[in-house]
Amino acid sequence: MSDTQHEKPMNDEEIRTDGGTDTGESFRQRVMDNPKPGAIWLTVLVLLIAPELGRFVDWMLALGGGIKFIFDGFVAAPAWIGSNFEDSLGFVAGAFATDITALLMLFVLAALLRGYLPFHPDTRLGLDLSRSRRVWFERGFLTTVFAAVTAVLVFTPLGALLRNEVGFYVGVLDSIGDMQTLISRETIPNHGYQTPAGDWEGTFLGLSPRYAWLTRFLLVWVYAAVFIGWLWQGYNVFREHYRAMDWTPRDDVIDRLRSHSWGVFGIVVVLGFIVLALFAPAIATYPIQENVYQPYAEDSEFKYFNEESGEVEMAHHGDANLDSRSQGEGSGTVSINEYDEYGRYAPLGTTPSGEDMMTHIAYGAQTSLTIAFVSITIAVFLAMLLSLASAFYGGIVDLMTIIGTDTIISIPIFVLVLMMSVVFSQGDVWIAEPMDGGFLLALIYAFAYMPGMWRSIRGPSLQVAQEEWVDAAKSYGQRPLAIMRKHMAPYVMSYLIIYGSLLIGGIIIVTSALSFLGYGVTEPTPEWGRLISDGRNAVATESWHVSTVSGAMIAIVVTGFNALGDGIRDAIDPQAEANATGNAGGGA
Amino acid sequence: MSQQLASSDSTTREKREKLVEVRDLKTYYGDSGMFGGPPVKAVDGVSFNVFRGETLGLVGESGCGKTTLGRTLLQLEDATGGEVRYDGTDITELNSDQLYEWRRNAQMVFQDPDSSLNDRMTVGEIIREPLDVYEWETPADRRDRVRELLETVGLRPEHYFRYPHQFSGGQRQRIGIARTLALEPDFMVLDEPVSALDVSVQAEIINLLEDLQEEFGLTYLFIAHDLSVVRHICDRVAVMYLGNIMEIGPTEELFTDPANPYTHSLLSAIPAPDPTDTAERITLHGTPPNPRYPPSGCPFNTRCPARIRPPEYEHLDDEVWQGINTLRDVLLERKRADRSIRERIRERLGRQTRFATVEETYDELFGGLQIPANAESSIEQIVEHASNNDEEAALDVLTEEFGSICESEKPEYHTVSETGRKSFCHRHDGEHRQPSQVLEERY
Ligand code: SF4
Repeated sequence: MSDTQHEKPMNDEEIRTDGGTDTGESFRQRVMDNPKPGAIWLTVLVLLIAPELGRFVDWMLALGGGIKFIFDGFVAAPAWIGSNFEDSLGFVAGAFATDITALLMLFVLAALLRGYLPFHPDTRLGLDLSRSRRVWFERGFLTTVFAAVTAVLVFTPLGALLRNEVGFYVGVLDSIGDMQTLISRETIPNHGYQTPAGDWEGTFLGLSPRYAWLTRFLLVWVYAAVFIGWLWQGYNVFREHYRAMDWTPRDDVIDRLRSHSWGVFGIVVVLGFIVLALFAPAIATYPIQENVYQPYAEDSEFKYFNEESGEVEMAHHGDANLDSRSQGEGSGTVSINEYDEYGRYAPLGTTPSGEDMMTHIAYGAQTSLTIAFVSITIAVFLAMLLSLASAFYGGIVDLMTIIGTDTIISIPIFVLVLMMSVVFSQGDVWIAEPMDGGFLLALIYAFAYMPGMWRSIRGPSLQVAQEEWVDAAKSYGQRPLAIMRKHMAPYVMSYLIIYGSLLIGGIIIVTSALSFLGYGVTEPTPEWGRLISDGRNAVATESWHVSTVSGAMIAIVVTGFNALGDGIRDAIDPQAEANATGNAGGGA
Repeated sequence: MSQQLASSDSTTREKREKLVEVRDLKTYYGDSGMFGGPPVKAVDGVSFNVFRGETLGLVGESGCGKTTLGRTLLQLEDATGGEVRYDGTDITELNSDQLYEWRRNAQMVFQDPDSSLNDRMTVGEIIREPLDVYEWETPADRRDRVRELLETVGLRPEHYFRYPHQFSGGQRQRIGIARTLALEPDFMVLDEPVSALDVSVQAEIINLLEDLQEEFGLTYLFIAHDLSVVRHICDRVAVMYLGNIMEIGPTEELFTDPANPYTHSLLSAIPAPDPTDTAERITLHGTPPNPRYPPSGCPFNTRCPARIRPPEYEHLDDEVWQGINTLRDVLLERKRADRSIRERIRERLGRQTRFATVEETYDELFGGLQIPANAESSIEQIVEHASNNDEEAALDVLTEEFGSICESEKPEYHTVSETGRKSFCHRHDGEHRQPSQVLEERY
């Protein structure tokens, strides 16, 4: 900081930023005052989204589907518990248990949302309650409101109406999602057949499948790069024109990260991985439904030029796959950048079961990303909660969490994950179904990695709990949860991001290792680790590409996540920060 | 300000309203009993009043418990015993709701402006937080109030959207002060508010605090180890040592005519403003005892330069006394130390242990000193007990021979002037000579 040692409070020169006389109009006010940059940015964004609208809507629907899956689980819980009671204690007990469970769940929801009540119901009612009574009153009040709404929805036709309404909108979104997008298989088809004359029918502009696919492939990356660049531009526009603060501590972190080439490499790789997963339907050479999931379905039939008979014939993907298996010597290996006998272009060759590798890799990225994202999110959330609570309360709470997590840590992580996935997948539980065990695996990882994560941030949490601003917050009566959220979590979060990005690498590797051993994600959901294991016997043959390509992908992605973690760590660099505050202390 | 108030102090004090009354307050740490061991007695039974509108200084070496005392007054630490009455209510007894209501009356300015402001929040958010917690008026009013407060402490309204990083130490302290003012408290605990600041900035912050006191009628508890600052700002001063208040009284009087031996030694540590002052410095030997094991009797007895000595040894050489004191520390330490079984076996086998042998200690302490015969025989007796690993007996002899009321009994607070100044020392009880006389003689 450029401050001089002397303090001249009325002299603005000391203060680090240039100018800035903003006294705090609202964000809306600032946009109204100077709408042009924002409007331009927004217009371009709309133009960028428009050609790919269907894809964006699809992503939204997928996200909504995930949320609905969790929501349905919660909704089913009261009835499930109730039916358990009913089995043993009779109908009345069952109904009672259902209601109690539902109320309890509504109460938890009410407790979480209480802080967002725009008014105090007790003061409206003329009650003057003390602080903790008021909290309980508000929780009760909200629970009652929720229960009433739920009852109305369940016991009156209103519920059905609402369901229809929602269903209608989802239907509308679905049809938008089905709309053809610019960079799609429909606009740029790459699967056609050769006429006896040697021309290609059905491909994009009559190009060969190789170039048709390549066009689409490249377009995806150009589009993604432009789109991400525009989002970054949006941040810059906000920072320059609309943000109340001239400078925030985060600006420095971002600047340091940008000048950290290893970190930038990590960002690029990770973004690439995410784009690969999100655009899998466009990047895959063939629709995964036809090529992998249901290769013998009616839709999975395609025309091809049979060289022996010299005629165009029909074949199922399933049959064609049998002739294109990359299993080593003597099989119909299709290697990188080759066509198989059915005129199907395989940019990365085929798998040992003859399916298209590129399709597997792209959808496999989806699998890995989902597992990693779900498990890390849960683990980060739990680790954060535990570490903050144990650091804030200390003493017995801290001791309990240490004992609890040490028990889990003492088991080698791989053994733990293996054990749990064996138990659960044998048990045939419903959570083992989504993604052929992928979702279950994500939950197992969250459980297995959370303790390590908690331990790694225990130090920083204890440290931040000692800061005087935490005491200050206590001294004016801030609630413990608010202290943890406002005054502790932001400091711990950066450590969690670093640790999380390093862990994602570990998770991808463990997932692969599990698949390698025959556990984890089972067929047919594509998974990189399973590709390695399937192709490992043929590494020394002409089918070398199966294990090599998938192995290389894992190596690159894991390195990328590690680089990202390193970059963020260096950017946050507590050391540099300590020095900076030391200087800011005005020669203290 | 301070001089003025101090001079009128004697006459008006009785009539002045007590804002905070502290009675026999104790704050112990780590006595949860989980890992055993005696608790750390950070504050070990202190009583005093803070009068409305005054500035009470609290001084002492670091680790004497002054910060803990300040934090206990604000209920940032739980009191182990005693009571803190604020405007008549005992705040140690409040439940969490009542405490929440009470907290807006009393606020704290922290020592380190780097650590007391959350630097992921803007200045505006920081100052606003107390207002949000108490749901003060409407959000728009809160924003206006924050801008007002920024001006009150000498910053500018547009600093609302800056981050603490962008300010110098003194400015950060101003932000901290603005935050404490937000809820319009009556009582403020200032925990060494300027000690982390550059000297040139210190005066500005002190002036700001004085102005604010005048403007808002604040009552301060000013914790400090810098005596010159205390002398400047405080109306009365309490001197703390090892969890106890040794002396408390009007500032000027206490500075010019200290009563307690500890106050004497503290004051003699500051360079004399008057170069012709030839009074010899009193140097304190050793370090303050571990507050987990405070000495019996007077807390200061291990280091006191005016300690009461048995008459027959009154004129024993100073170095010999030092040796005796150290020997006592060593014996106490040995008694406390939990010697492991392995160590006992090694001892039996005549091997070295981590405890130096008593003979070694003896040589180190008394080697080459002239010791009168009667003292010498007692010391030898002690050493003999000790070398038989009977520290108990050794200590008994030591107390018997060289001990005095300073070790055996806790002193009482004696009023030492008309202003009601109190000192915690046996020497004021009329049977012994006054500390100042003794110190004159010994130094
Ligand atoms: S009581 Fe004894 S040891 Fe304590 S201060 Fe007075 S003279 Fe010193």
